[in-house]
Amino acid sequence: MNPVLMSFLGGLFILDKYAIGEFGLSQPIIAGTILGAIFGEPKTGIMLGAVIQLIFLGGLPIGRDIPPDAQGAGIVGVGTYLFLKNLNPQDSSLFLAIVLALTAALAGGAMEIYTRRLNEKLYHQFLRKKAHLYLFHYLGLGTAYIRGFILFFAYFIFARYFIIPGQFLKLNPQLLLIIGIGAGIANGCYLFIKKRTLIFFIVGGLCSLALLVL
Amino acid sequence: MQLGFTRFIKLLLQNLFIQTSWSFTTLQGMGFLANILSGAREDKKELILNNHKGFFNTHPYMSAYIVGAVTRLYDEGKKSPDEIKHFIAIAQTSLASSGDLLFWETIRPSLLIIAVILSLKFGLWGIFGFIIPYNILHLYHRITGILDGYRLGPDIIYLLNSARFKKVQQVFEIVGAIAAGLLILLVQWKNNSLILIPLIPLFISMFIYRLPATFYTISIILIVIIFALL
Repeated sequence: MNPVLMSFLGGLFILDKYAIGEFGLSQPIIAGTILGAIFGEPKTGIMLGAVIQLIFLGGLPIGRDIPPDAQGAGIVGVGTYLFLKNLNPQDSSLFLAIVLALTAALAGGAMEIYTRRLNEKLYHQFLRKKAHLYLFHYLGLGTAYIRGFILFFAYFIFARYFIIPGQFLKLNPQLLLIIGIGAGIANGCYLFIKKRTLIFFIVGGLCSLALLVL
Repeated sequence: MQLGFTRFIKLLLQNLFIQTSWSFTTLQGMGFLANILSGAREDKKELILNNHKGFFNTHPYMSAYIVGAVTRLYDEGKKSPDEIKHFIAIAQTSLASSGDLLFWETIRPSLLIIAVILSLKFGLWGIFGFIIPYNILHLYHRITGILDGYRLGPDIIYLLNSARFKKVQQVFEIVGAIAAGLLILLVQWKNNSLILIPLIPLFISMFIYRLPATFYTISIILIVIIFALL
């Protein structure tokens, strides 16, 4: 496992965010699980992917609005944790990985603005050379991939060599999951709860409690 | 009038790349142009290239309906480029809001919650709880979008009242509501789990007051730090 390989794979996943198809493979729970499985830590991938997914469940890419880069955050979260825990205790690695993932969501969103500006230049080139429409259009794959690669490589190279000080903050995985569940339920209520669906939310909650008791 | 299998495949494959060169100036403009050119007749290509260089934006999956309809209109040759542009301007707005509501705000989050629950409970295979149903629905709209768009032409916008939009949205709102309730299943009840109770209204209030996404993300970082300090 090295930062270049992980960034290469992360860049491929991030193409699914909007550049190719949008099959949903870049969503944190999917990319996190697959990356975790590839590098022999599926449970870690699922847990971190799930938490980041629930936090950014409602991040909707509507029109010109650019929400935080949830997909980038998922890949950074899983990747940095896998690198950090090689040299550091697990609880403090988990804390740092989730904080880095959330900052990556903000950084990724900002980098996307630059990517779109680069794509504008491709559009102006196309206006000058109309015969090369497909060339300039597909160069957009390059700008999307490079954005992802640069973002991931910066975080992974840091995580690969960073030694966490002894008295650094530690985070219990169960507490992290509680934050994810809280954000997930809040997102779910905001997106789905209406007068006619409230009863179904209550049914879901009661089923959960019944299953927990059983 | 027939679209033909080869042209259909070209349009479908190119439609997967509609957002590849997404920019602030034209949003999906270059992708849309590349898409309709991929299935256009040779004698129409120059006309299309000169008339559709500008702005285009709609939901990526729903763009297939417009691509199919525009291909039909150029094949028929009865409408002027200005009339076709007028149709595109109306259709892209209607399909954008329907697509955003159907996929981004309903189908995708509801299936993602299900995938999260299945993955945390049953492991690796849980992700297929999202990947398979989501992409069946997604590809259904891309495929039928091109075919129905070509069959119906500008009348395609009347499909927005059909079951494939309205009923499916209603079903997935219910699925999402149940799945959101089922998230409680993931809590391992210990003393510190009670912290969930104030967290939920805190997050909901952030969404209701439409606080900026950056503020929300920074708030989560602060909550993580506070939890680590506990």
